[in-house]
Amino acid sequence: MFQLKWLLSNLKGYRLVYAVALLLSIITQSFFLIGPIISQNIIDIFISSENAVENIQTKSDLLIWLCIAMVLFVLLRTGIQFLAKMLYEITSQGVLQKVRNELFRRIQNQDMHFFDTHTRGDLVTRLTGDLEMIRHSIAWIIMLVVESISLFLFTVIYFFTIDVALTLWVLSLTPVLFVITRIFSKKVRPRYITLREKLSRLNTKAQENIAANRVVKAFAREEYEKEDFDKYNKEYCEYSKKAAMTWLTFQPYIEILAQALWVVHMLAGGIFVINGQITIAEYSVFSALLWTISNAMRNLGMLINDLQRFFASISKIIDVYYARPGIVNNHEYTERNRIKGDIRFENVTMKFGDVTVLEDINLTVKNGETVVIMGATGSGKTTLMNLIARFYDPTSGAVYVGGKNVKEYEPDILRCNIGMTTQEVLLFSDTVDGNIAYGKSDLPFEDVTKFAHLACADFIEKMPEKYETIIGERGVGLSGGQKQRIALARAMAIRPPILILDDTTSAVDMETETQIQENLTKLDFECTKLIIAQRTSSARYADRIVILEDGKIRECGTHDELMASKGYYYEIYSLQNGTDKEAV
Amino acid sequence: MARNKFDIDESLESPFDIKHFKRAMVYVKKYKKSIITALLLSAISSAVALLGPLITKEAVDVAIPRGIETGDIWYTVLLSALFLLTIAVSVIFANIRQRIMTKAGQNIIYDIRKDLFAHLQRLPFSYYDDRPQGKILVRVVNYVNSVSDILTNGIINLVLEIFNIVFISIFMLFVDVRLALVVFAGLPVFIIIMAFLKSRQRKAWQALSNKSSNQTAYLAESINCIRVTQSFAREQENLGIFKRLSTAYRKAWMKAVTLNALVGFSVDNIRAIADSGLYFVGLMIIGYPAVSLGSILAMSSYSARFWQPIINIAQLYNQFINAVAYLERIFETMDEPVPVKNAENAYELPEMTGKVEYKNVTFAYEEGKNILENVSFTVNPGESVALVGPTGAGKTTIVNLISRFYNLTGGKILIDGHDISEVTLESLRKQMGIMLQDSFIFSGTIEDNIRYGKLDATEEEIRQAAKTVCADEFINTLENGYKTEMYEGGSQLSGGQRQLISFARTLISNPKILVLDEATSSIDAKTEKELQKGLQSLLKGRTSFIIAHRLSTIKNCDKIMFINNKGITEAGTHEELMAKKGDYYKLYTAQ
Repeated sequence: MFQLKWLLSNLKGYRLVYAVALLLSIITQSFFLIGPIISQNIIDIFISSENAVENIQTKSDLLIWLCIAMVLFVLLRTGIQFLAKMLYEITSQGVLQKVRNELFRRIQNQDMHFFDTHTRGDLVTRLTGDLEMIRHSIAWIIMLVVESISLFLFTVIYFFTIDVALTLWVLSLTPVLFVITRIFSKKVRPRYITLREKLSRLNTKAQENIAANRVVKAFAREEYEKEDFDKYNKEYCEYSKKAAMTWLTFQPYIEILAQALWVVHMLAGGIFVINGQITIAEYSVFSALLWTISNAMRNLGMLINDLQRFFASISKIIDVYYARPGIVNNHEYTERNRIKGDIRFENVTMKFGDVTVLEDINLTVKNGETVVIMGATGSGKTTLMNLIARFYDPTSGAVYVGGKNVKEYEPDILRCNIGMTTQEVLLFSDTVDGNIAYGKSDLPFEDVTKFAHLACADFIEKMPEKYETIIGERGVGLSGGQKQRIALARAMAIRPPILILDDTTSAVDMETETQIQENLTKLDFECTKLIIAQRTSSARYADRIVILEDGKIRECGTHDELMASKGYYYEIYSLQNGTDKEAV
Repeated sequence: MARNKFDIDESLESPFDIKHFKRAMVYVKKYKKSIITALLLSAISSAVALLGPLITKEAVDVAIPRGIETGDIWYTVLLSALFLLTIAVSVIFANIRQRIMTKAGQNIIYDIRKDLFAHLQRLPFSYYDDRPQGKILVRVVNYVNSVSDILTNGIINLVLEIFNIVFISIFMLFVDVRLALVVFAGLPVFIIIMAFLKSRQRKAWQALSNKSSNQTAYLAESINCIRVTQSFAREQENLGIFKRLSTAYRKAWMKAVTLNALVGFSVDNIRAIADSGLYFVGLMIIGYPAVSLGSILAMSSYSARFWQPIINIAQLYNQFINAVAYLERIFETMDEPVPVKNAENAYELPEMTGKVEYKNVTFAYEEGKNILENVSFTVNPGESVALVGPTGAGKTTIVNLISRFYNLTGGKILIDGHDISEVTLESLRKQMGIMLQDSFIFSGTIEDNIRYGKLDATEEEIRQAAKTVCADEFINTLENGYKTEMYEGGSQLSGGQRQLISFARTLISNPKILVLDEATSSIDAKTEKELQKGLQSLLKGRTSFIIAHRLSTIKNCDKIMFINNKGITEAGTHEELMAKKGDYYKLYTAQ
């Protein structure tokens, strides 16, 4: 029931509209009870009556008025129905959008741990399929509950005024119905939860296949992928059937019970009439309105079914809605003031699970300094950088930026002071211009071209629509080196006091790399640069070089110092510059 | 079509066409038997249900009055029992119909999804490059799910309702032609209104499917690139964009449902006008005794039965218009041409030795914009070739052509003398090992990821491959070693580690031709050096193409080709090219 409470709290702002819609629904329901009276009148007066023929001549005005009334009455009813329908849609769409935006906002503020444990396909399922259930519950389930209950109550009260005993007889089947629906709801719930899981898996599989389409082709694994997908497809198909079959197993009992009302009415009512307890006219009143109770009973089963589905989905949404990120913004947005670019690591240790990635790191980088970080694959270079932007908090120790512990900044204030490129270049399906100006969307066009030029991304000029060319999601249409240069331009374009380049020139050719390095020394803003690189040539303009090994700083110093100490750096330098004997 | 982004609607070229529905019928036909059975069951169920009112009538007219007279309730009891029986029969038959239809419906969407997915596997890179992934995803999952009901129950109900209408119309004509015509007069009005709404409705539902696809695309992309968004602290602005998209979706929805609601609104009113017209015309214009009062009475009850199925069909029609918007998208994807496919008489490429010949190869992604022009070269079995040159010069394109990821614009490529356009794609690509610039890690264990290259690889083979690429060491430090489950995209590994895994995957496939496209760019120099040692033995007997920027990687190749200006500007060994003092020399000395 927590789920319903949550839904109700999200109805805020639409409660009045929704209440009006529900009220209109109830009114239309009563119209269904009253409406037939007009045509009944026509029949009674002008057709069935003994004076029918006479009446046509003498009361022709009445006949015309009744005909007009009939049309107007339906016009009124359908008008109200239309209005109610629109109000339901306004409410359900309004709430749906509100929750969807809110979920989007919350997901955006989640930390990396969240994205490590929630697959993209699953998150997409939650924000599409599961959210649809919110709409369905507001525009349909709740409406039907209110309609059924109100009609049911109207009728039952009316019935009681006619005859208590017969009413009780008619209602005698409802407890049985409650027992059945209770058993049913217990059985069907886990089915919907599993089905929901299967849908998410299907989504994840399809999503992964689409993302990996190049790998699939490279290995000619189309057949394998088809077979693999088939498993998920079949599973989803089977579980859909299972869930539906569970409903269909109970449905006949519920339906028979709902219809058996007429039998009870006929038998009990018939005997009552025979015994003289009620009149045949009273018997007819019961039979004319019995459908309202029968409908309510029938709907109950359907509603229970829908409700279980609703619960399975809403739980998934609430789960994301209330997931608390470890690293949070405490307030909404303040002015983005510029932080000074000095960085200090103090006894920083970082563990992921049992694995120690960084151990007791102490490092100070002065404002405006250029530091190149090198080290073996998996030695912790990227993690070190991630700690500066506070994508993770260190297990122990502290990171200081601009003299302040990074935990004391709002993450967004901190991060907009850091221009960062990641190893795996992520671009957006947007124009080149839009991608470069991603961090600062009001960046003037001259600046976009200027930073593109600084990043040696001159190839943009050769593209069909230059800066207006749309590049595919993740920049799939571009070569690795081209993507890296756009990402570099994007990072520089926010003119950050701290620039972090994670292996940004690995796919760029030598000549261009040299040019980029030179350009980096000529930026028109003060900037601390941290550069992760594999090639010693990248260290050309570095003030200092840091060598990481197994999460520890093994060497740290200038090029000359490190060359003199003949350690790791010396070894690599020799290796890459051909002075190493083995390599020749 | 120009490349699509999240906030651009995908225009649909084809106008509304019943052919989409006909095409859907191909999937339905497979379950023809189920549908016919279900139809029969429905008919029986409805027929049995019709007995109900007769029984009640008998009870009120005969059984109860007789009971009042004689005090005998047994006839009433008997009728009740009979009534219960008809209910049970009718419900059970209807239930069986539902079961059959549910199964058929699920099977149909299973079939459609399967075909759609299979076709997606055949589509070229460019299809995926040209649109956000989320837009493809919604088609495979959400859209397909939306069409099952209309294709099963929709069809059956349509048939039943049409049957109802015909049946009732005949009855009405039989009772009184003139009165029947009055009731029918509402029909043309209804049809005109529907025709008026139709194109609007179609547009509205199409717009909705576009807006929903845009929204999903942006959502998927935002989740994919969350790192970038957070590092640029752009959450607020993106939320603004998302709000814009979700508002567009809501507006499209409201428009579509308003039109839908109008259908219900108009059919109810037309019916009311027709009903009152019936009394008015019957009683006042034709008048008694030209028409009997009994037939007016009968006609008014038939009129209700005539209009109910029409109301139901109008509802079905709403569903149908909605489903067509999705079907169109699904079939549009299935109709997407497959440019690279097996030639008609394609034959299996026999086990290759690895000789590669390019003969005057010209290639353009877009017509008129050649990336490569008249490229010719020969690589002998077992040779290693390095491709160097500025980024964007076409190095990746050259190697992609060997696997026939694209069709050539001109010239041909021969492997062991076989034109690659004449052999089956699978036999060609299976013998090639390509390591791409992006190292994709699948969800699953590390072992699974390596095994992707050779599905029947033993654990021993996997370990051996990992050892060769120097990945064994770091894998063993992971919590569960080779059985460590990867997060999506392998996010717990470093970029270099991901490259090593994907390298192992390529190696285990035991390719005759190996293509390494920036395979080691994120791997540190020391690991790379070790890697080279392991590779030396592996490269023996295999032809290899290596794209790299680190000259230490390139130097030892048998042949180096400098790619620039749409072709090969220099070729030769390291020593030859150094002596030549051309582009390569410049590049080398720059390092």
